[in-house]
Amino acid sequence: MIRTWRLSVWAPLAIVIVLALFPALFPGELNYIGLGFLTFIFVTLAVSWNMVGGYAGQVSFGYAAFFGTAAYATAILWSRYEWDPVLTLPIAGLAAVVVALIVGLPCFRLLGPYFSIATIGIGEGSRVLALNLDQLTGGASGLNLPLAVPSKPWFYWSGLMLAVIAIAVSAWLRASRVGLGLFALRMDQDAAESVGLNTTLYKNIAHCLSAFLVGVAGGLYVVYLSYVHPDTVFSFDLSIGMVLMGVIGGVGTLWGPVLGATIYLPIQQLLLAQPSLVAIHQLIFGGLLIAIILFEPGGLLGLIRRVARR
Amino acid sequence: MYEPSAIAGLVVTAVLTAGLYALMSFGLALVYGVMKIINLAHAGTMMLSAFVVLELNHRFHLDPILGAIVSAALFLVVGMLLYVLAVRRVIDAPPIASLLLLFGVWLCAQNAAYFFWGSEDQSIVTSYTLATIPLGDVLVPVTRLIPFGASLIALGLLSWFLRSTDLGKAIRAVSQNSTAARLAGIRSGRVSTIAFGIGSSLSAFAGGLLTLLFSFTPDFGHTFQLKSFAIIVLGGLESFPGVALGALVLAVIESFSILIPGWRGSLVNLLAFTLLVAGLVLLPGGIASLLERRGKPE
Repeated sequence: MIRTWRLSVWAPLAIVIVLALFPALFPGELNYIGLGFLTFIFVTLAVSWNMVGGYAGQVSFGYAAFFGTAAYATAILWSRYEWDPVLTLPIAGLAAVVVALIVGLPCFRLLGPYFSIATIGIGEGSRVLALNLDQLTGGASGLNLPLAVPSKPWFYWSGLMLAVIAIAVSAWLRASRVGLGLFALRMDQDAAESVGLNTTLYKNIAHCLSAFLVGVAGGLYVVYLSYVHPDTVFSFDLSIGMVLMGVIGGVGTLWGPVLGATIYLPIQQLLLAQPSLVAIHQLIFGGLLIAIILFEPGGLLGLIRRVARR
Repeated sequence: MYEPSAIAGLVVTAVLTAGLYALMSFGLALVYGVMKIINLAHAGTMMLSAFVVLELNHRFHLDPILGAIVSAALFLVVGMLLYVLAVRRVIDAPPIASLLLLFGVWLCAQNAAYFFWGSEDQSIVTSYTLATIPLGDVLVPVTRLIPFGASLIALGLLSWFLRSTDLGKAIRAVSQNSTAARLAGIRSGRVSTIAFGIGSSLSAFAGGLLTLLFSFTPDFGHTFQLKSFAIIVLGGLESFPGVALGALVLAVIESFSILIPGWRGSLVNLLAFTLLVAGLVLLPGGIASLLERRGKPE
């Protein structure tokens, strides 16, 4: 027991240190540093999504609504009101929390698949709304943001820090009372309620927590891109990405979404760089999703564990 | 303020659209009724069917309506295969498994279509694409009339099938109470296979007919899928008259939305999304349950 506890602390710490040293050791590798930043952002998204989609078992297809709202909060405060972009990030997170409450308070009354269907509507609705509020969002032409931004290594380290925080929050949530409540309601909502658990409250807590982290990631992402457009930050692909990373990596586990994101994002970037493969970048992940649902519901992490046990 | 003929035009459009909406939603309601699963591959089926119709039209100059019939037959088989090979394995798992599985199928279908047909807008032009028929003061486009008629015929056949054939009765029995149906000797597995096939076939038929009205890309079907969800939710998920009512409600609201001051056409899809969420949260039994409650005050 003690040895596994040590391993579970030291191994991630060692990985984080190695990752943090990378830009200092190879300052010329800007492409990899950029890729690293995006991976950290997606790790944050996957880990945060998993708090609701995994721990609570409420699969949401609408997380782009949080990401997009937060991205626009940062973009508008930064470009119109000339805030320091870093200071906008907490506001971006809170903007996402507000959306999470607006979505969660009515929709968590719905069970399982009905919740999922409602979130598809919310995700797409928010995109259509953002496209049409062109006074605020720049509509279909998007908003160009100031170019004076920090260096790529700065983004890399910020992204790494955010991802580490998200994983730490996820680990804490898992072990907390709220986490236990989420596991209980995932297994049997009626049973959980019958022992006095306020399931709606627990779901909303997890939802707000994860929305905040997704929001900060969304803010950081648009600062990096210096550009924001409703079709990118509110895109259905983004919501799908979070589902895929979580489920493929290992839904409901601490490290599964991390694994899912570190596989998903680099492969996606690789395929997007090949003009002939752009269109099919999700074919692989769709196929993987089908295979995982049919053969290994524990995801790739479950598969690794199963192989290791042999 | 508005000309009576303009209002009449909106009503006619709404009714014609409702027919098509009902057709594309019945498949979902049938699958939900029998298996209690939400078929997220519905959008993929409609989209692939549109491309099948396109290919048939380009290669064999087959009329889209005939193409839609061929495609419906094709997807009857595809749907049954999909059920036997994949869906059947997760039917007893938590509902989220089937949802994610069918979502994966949709994703694969969509990306396969991007691979084969690219992302350009496709459209099918027929000799009657621009033709209209005068109906009183209102000019009705033939491309709206034909899908409406075809939808009515398809729905009539479906209704006859469900009421008058043994298989149809078995499907209704399973959807009412699958345990009791199994006790009565109905092989629910086989019924589910056939119901999934018919559901896919109806989606494919609707997808094929939609090519008469709209241009399409591999992302086609996404919005229509959400509209179908809104419709079956309004209709109470598995009741067929409910679906027709839901389709009419959505079509009327969409048609008349242009009378709202400051309204933009690009906001029209927001109506369906709003109805979907509001319907799920506020009307779990659909509109019909609301009417029943009103009808029987206690």
